[in-house]
This record gives sequence, structure tokens and C-alpha cells, in this order.
Amino acid sequence: MTGVRRRFGAVQAVDGVDLELFPGEIHALVGENGAGKSTLAAIAYGAVKPDDGAVTSDGVVGLVHQHFKLIERLRVWENVLLNREPRRGWAIDVAAARARVDKLAAAYGLAVDPDAVVETLPVGIKQRVELLRELDREPTVLLLDEPTAALAPSEIASFFTTISALAARGTAILVVTHKLAEVIAYSRRVTVMRAGRVVARHFTSETSADAIAREMVGGEVPALAARAATVTVPLLEVRGVSARSATSVLTDASFAVRAGEIVGIAGIEGNGQTALADALAGVVPFTGELRFAGEVLRADDSPASRLQRGIRVIPQDRRHEALVLSWNVIDNVVLGRQRALARANYADAAREVIELFDVRPPDPQAIAGALSGGNQQKIVVGRTLTAQPKLVVAYQPTRGIDIGAAALVQSRLIEARNAGAGVLLISFELDEIFACADRVLVIANGTFAGEFDRANIDRGRIGALMAGHA
Amino acid sequence: MSAVLRRPVVRDIVVVLVVVFGVGSIAMLLAHVSPLDGFGALFDGAFGTRSELAETLVQTTCLLFPALGIAIAFRAGLFNIGAEGQLILGGFAAGWLGAQFPLPGYLAIPMVLLAGALAGGVWGAIPGFLRARFGANEVIATLMLNVVAALLATYLVNGPLQQGGAGASETGTLPKAAQLPDLIADSRLTWAFVLALVIAFVLRWVLQRTVFGYELRAAGDAPEAARRAGIDLSRTAFVAMALSGALAGLGGATIVAGVLHRFNTGLSPGYGFIAIAVALVGNLDPLWIIVASFAFGVLQSGGVAMQAEAGVPRDVVSLVTGLVIIALAGRRVVAKLRST
Repeated sequence: MTGVRRRFGAVQAVDGVDLELFPGEIHALVGENGAGKSTLAAIAYGAVKPDDGAVTSDGVVGLVHQHFKLIERLRVWENVLLNREPRRGWAIDVAAARARVDKLAAAYGLAVDPDAVVETLPVGIKQRVELLRELDREPTVLLLDEPTAALAPSEIASFFTTISALAARGTAILVVTHKLAEVIAYSRRVTVMRAGRVVARHFTSETSADAIAREMVGGEVPALAARAATVTVPLLEVRGVSARSATSVLTDASFAVRAGEIVGIAGIEGNGQTALADALAGVVPFTGELRFAGEVLRADDSPASRLQRGIRVIPQDRRHEALVLSWNVIDNVVLGRQRALARANYADAAREVIELFDVRPPDPQAIAGALSGGNQQKIVVGRTLTAQPKLVVAYQPTRGIDIGAAALVQSRLIEARNAGAGVLLISFELDEIFACADRVLVIANGTFAGEFDRANIDRGRIGALMAGHA
Repeated sequence: MSAVLRRPVVRDIVVVLVVVFGVGSIAMLLAHVSPLDGFGALFDGAFGTRSELAETLVQTTCLLFPALGIAIAFRAGLFNIGAEGQLILGGFAAGWLGAQFPLPGYLAIPMVLLAGALAGGVWGAIPGFLRARFGANEVIATLMLNVVAALLATYLVNGPLQQGGAGASETGTLPKAAQLPDLIADSRLTWAFVLALVIAFVLRWVLQRTVFGYELRAAGDAPEAARRAGIDLSRTAFVAMALSGALAGLGGATIVAGVLHRFNTGLSPGYGFIAIAVALVGNLDPLWIIVASFAFGVLQSGGVAMQAEAGVPRDVVSLVTGLVIIALAGRRVVAKLRST
């Protein structure tokens, strides 16, 4: 790719990028959200046309999306061979299709049952299906967009084993990611992007994760707020709680959160975290016992009653569960406090959030949907913490936001803890949990698998527990 | 320019103008009438004289009440297609009670109007309850309740609650005290027009400036975020539908107390349906809905003159109105049905 440019509206997403991929290498493309790396991958794949510049490749380019694009109700072979089904006259040659998928799976060491229906498969296997679909096209260039986002640590290792074998056969592989540990462990070269431009290129062996992080941010990575000594008192007690929320199931969970501490829930997406957060928010019923500040929470309590008690949840999906995107910042800041605050104070509440959380642009009238993800998240976190909650449930509070905004959000959570709030931090990013939590609970298959104090964090053990190994 | 055109409000207005003048012209040409003569007669019939203008404002009023009701439901994320039925039952309750229980002047009019609002409100609250309690789709429920309302009113007025002659399909005449006072002498325009305008302004204030309005809009614009912010979606749906029906029912009561002075099963030429187009053209904003009601009022009242003077069938107005509804409401209905 040479001199590639692409503009979306007022944003110059990709601004004159040169990138070369060689056969047999794993090349990491890193950068913050909005740096332009996904756009660049889409241009390389041919899904987005560049305004300027040229893309040339020898052979087929394959792309595996971050969010799987599988047809859930079809079988594995139907997904892998979609639109390339072997035929016999008018009919699909099912036996040949199965054989082809089996052969492909064996060749790359990606074991799958060709007849399994995709929706019944765990994420790790779905990803194999996605990969097999691209491999069936025999790509010479394979683009992987955040391929390990939904994988357990052990799955990540085996995924890269597969990818390395693929590279050894001569495929050029581009991994778009923000996980620097993986970049260091598995890539040969790394390209760093910031604001649409390439700011650094390295042989991975000649750089470090810290150096890459500084290049991504364009300066020092901001430090987190200091942890003050706190006197902790019991706040939330969870005893034998089971709940179900859409596809998420929590089974017989017991733990406690004390005021003045951050409890981190470590786990891979889809292991009951959503059911836990929703049960605490009062949006799904539960069985078992929940006690908050000594009082029993009822299973049929409304979300409003949880807010009144001082339990506030930062939901996982800010765009649908937290914000009204067509509204301005003021109306979004007061959402959840619309009755508690006097109308005359609405604008002040918004100004407080804008100031404390550095929302940009600092315009209370700005429409929420027009803000960047990071600034949207600052509004959600800001309105939650400025409401002086007793318990904050933060579910993936830094998902998809840049490093600076993430550090700010994490610092504010630590400050809320310092000030005596209880914080339950549910995150799929282990680094985030290790950076913030006083205690770590591991969740796997909807139940708690282990507990670690900040002083005794064992990364390998936590990873194994997350993957469901007892 | 293209950015301006892509704004929803502007796009809707362009759609409406194209439909009204484009399709209207084609229809007139098919009827062998010059569109210039046809539209000339239409506008002349709507504004030509003082009494014609008054009649246009009567039609405006008849559309404004149900359109405001439909807008309230829409803002809460609910599609009330049942305004017609709510309006008919409101009219029936007003007409029957007004004729049955003659009260002194200062009580008669409030009773008649309140009866209409209450009957329409109950009829709107039924699908609201079904939605809140069982998650029943209000589009289907309100649509079907229109038929039930029309048949119920016909049955009651000819059967158990008969006041006029057998088979007359109308109630007795309202006593003078229960009739709305004229706004313009020797016309059918009454203070109902002013009442509708006042309600439009109040409604806008309620939507934009009260916690109730805030929560209602949140429920409509982002239901999941609203629920998590402690807003009771079931309650909001129920209240919004009841209020929506009450406004349509009040509209029916003003037709009875102001225009016909009795309930007649044919009191509405489809105001409740036309009002859907009015609400959408008015971008669900009560103040713009006043303007939209006037525009459709012109079509309604001018259509009569168009038929009489230019020989264009009145049905052209129905055709045009129907197309506007399909153009503006169609995509919302489809989106709504897909989401549930």
C-alpha cells in the first residue's frame, strides 16, 4: 500500500500511509481507537475504496472481522463454504462439503465438527470457523482485526500457534490489535499508527511494549491516581445468587464488596458477567440473597429503587444501554437523576461532568451521538460518579476508548474508592483489573472460580481459571 | 444543499410537496382537468371568503386534537393508529351524555368535553395496558380497536343507548348549554380551535420542560437506556397511550359539541388516520403540528370546492393524503414491526 488516504466526513481517517506486508511474516498494526487501523485494514481488503493511493497484492486477500460475521443458525460447513459450495447438478454435494471442511481443518490443526450449528459453539470455536472460511479461499494475505478480543489466555496461545504455522507456509499476516503483549510475543514487525498516520515502524525484537505504548499515545502514558489507604466496611453481600440475562447465565454466585475497595471480576466475555451486572442494576430478576448496606434487595425491585439506594451501574454498551444519542450532553448527564435534580441545576450538573472528566468539546449542548466513544464514555462514567453512589458497578468501563481517556476513567474509579465508595469492576482486560482492583475474583461458566488479593495476584493461575481449568 | 435536503424534516416536507402537487396534478390530468384550475379551486375554496377560511380552521381543529395525541404516543416510542376509534368513542360519550343529562351551561360543556376525553382515554389505555402488561404490539392492537370502536358506537347508538329514532345512527341533539360557543359568528368555528391551540402549547411545554416529558421522550428515544435510568417503561407506555387516546377523544367531543351538536356514526371522515400524516409532517413537535394541521385542513375544506367548481373528484384529496401517510409512516411502521 502506498500513499493511501481516506476521509470520512470531517475526519481524515487514513492520511498517506505506506505499508508493506511480506510473505511469511506476522505484522502487527497497532494504534488507539480512531487511529485509522481498521480503516486501513478495510482498504487493504478492498471493502473501502481509498480516496488516494494504491493497493497491490499477489493473490487473494482474506479478512477476519473482530465481530464474527457468521450465520448463527447454519452449520459449520455451510458457513465455511458459503457461496463456494461444491455442487452436484442443482444440489449441494454435502458429503464433498464435509470432506472439504474436514481436510481444511486437519491441514491447519483447527479441529471443528463440520455439522455443528454455529450458534451452539463457544466463541473460540466460532473464531476457528471464521478463520477456516477465509483459509478455504487460500489467501496469500490474511488480515485479522482484533482476533483475540474474545479468547481466553490459553486460546490466545493456540491461536497464535496456528497463525505462526500459516505464516511459515508463506502467508503474509496482518494483525490489527491493541494488546501489546501479543504484539511483542508473536509479531515479526510492528507498525504504529496515530491520527491516521504511521508514526513508527519497528522490528518487534528491537522495541518494547512500553515504547510502543508511548508511540501510540504520542507522549507518556498517563499514570493512574494513587491508591489511598481506606477503612473498608461491608457494603454488598451476594449469597448464592443465580440470574439470567439474554444469553448470559450466572449460577450460585457468592462474594462481597466492601466500601472503599475495588473488586475486579476477571473473566472472558460470555461467562455470566452480563447477568451479574443486570441483576445488580435491577433489570433482571434473580434467586438467592442480595444484601446492600445491611438491607435485603428484593428480586423484583425496580431499577429506580437500586438507584435510590445508591447503586449505579455503568453498562457495557454505552450507545444503547446508557445514552440517548440524539440528545445533548445536559439531558444525558441528568439521565438517572432526572427526578433527584431540580431542573434549574441540570446545566450545572453537565458542566461539572464536562470539567471533572475533560469532555471534549466542552459544550453542554453538543449532541451525544456526535462525540467520540471516549467522550461518550466520560459522560456515562461522569454522571455515575458525580451522583455520589455508594456502589459503582463498572462493566467494561474503558471498552473502545483511547489510552488517555481510559486512564482518566480508571483514575476516577480509584478516586471514588479512595473516597469510600465500593467499586465492582467487571472487565475482559486483565491488565485493567490488575491495575485497579484490590481483590480479583475469577468468573468462568457463570460461577466464581477463584479469589486473589492484590498482593498475591498470580497471572498464570488466573488465566487458567478464566479458561475453566480448575 | 444536499446536506440540507438530507435533514429529516426538510426531506419530509419535500416528500409531501412532491406527493401533493405531483400526484395531485397527475390525478387531475387523468380526470381531464388542468391542475392549475384544480389547485386554484382548492385554494380558493379554502381561503376565498371569510366563511371558507372559518371552515378550513374547523378542519384544522378536527385534525389537531388527534394529531397531538398521536404525537404524544410517538414521542414515547408508540405508534397509535387507533386515534380514529378513540375519536369516535369520545364523540359518542360526549353526545350521549350531553343529550341524556342536560346540565347548566357552566357545567354542561366541561362535562361533555371531559366525557369525550375520558372515553377516548380508556380506549387508548386498553392497548397501553396490553403493551405494558403483556408486551402486546400496540400497532396491531390499536388498528383492530378502531373497528371495534366503530361497531360498538353504531351498536350503542342504535341499540341499548338509543336516543334518536330507530336506525338513525345518531344521538339526540345537545342542549344549547352544552354546545361550544362560536368563535366566528355564523360559522361552524368554535372556541374548540383556541382550546386545541392552547393544548398544543401546553403539550410542548410538558414534553420539553417537565420530568414527565423528559422521561416520556427518553422511553421513546432510547428505551434500554431509559429503563436502566429508573424510568418505568410499562407505566410510561400506559400513560402515554391513555393521554394519546384522551386527546383524540377530546377531538371527537369538540366535533359533537361544536360542529354537529349531536353524535353521528359518520362524524369523522377519517380524521384519526389523516392525523397520522399530520403528526409526522409536523415532525412530532406540537407547534409544527399546528402548521401541519392547517395545511391538511386546507386540503380537507378546499377539496369540497375543488369538486364543485373544477369537477375534480374529492377523492384526489384522500389519494394524496393516503400517499403522504404511506410515504412518511410506512418506514416507521416497518421499523417498529421489525423491532418487536
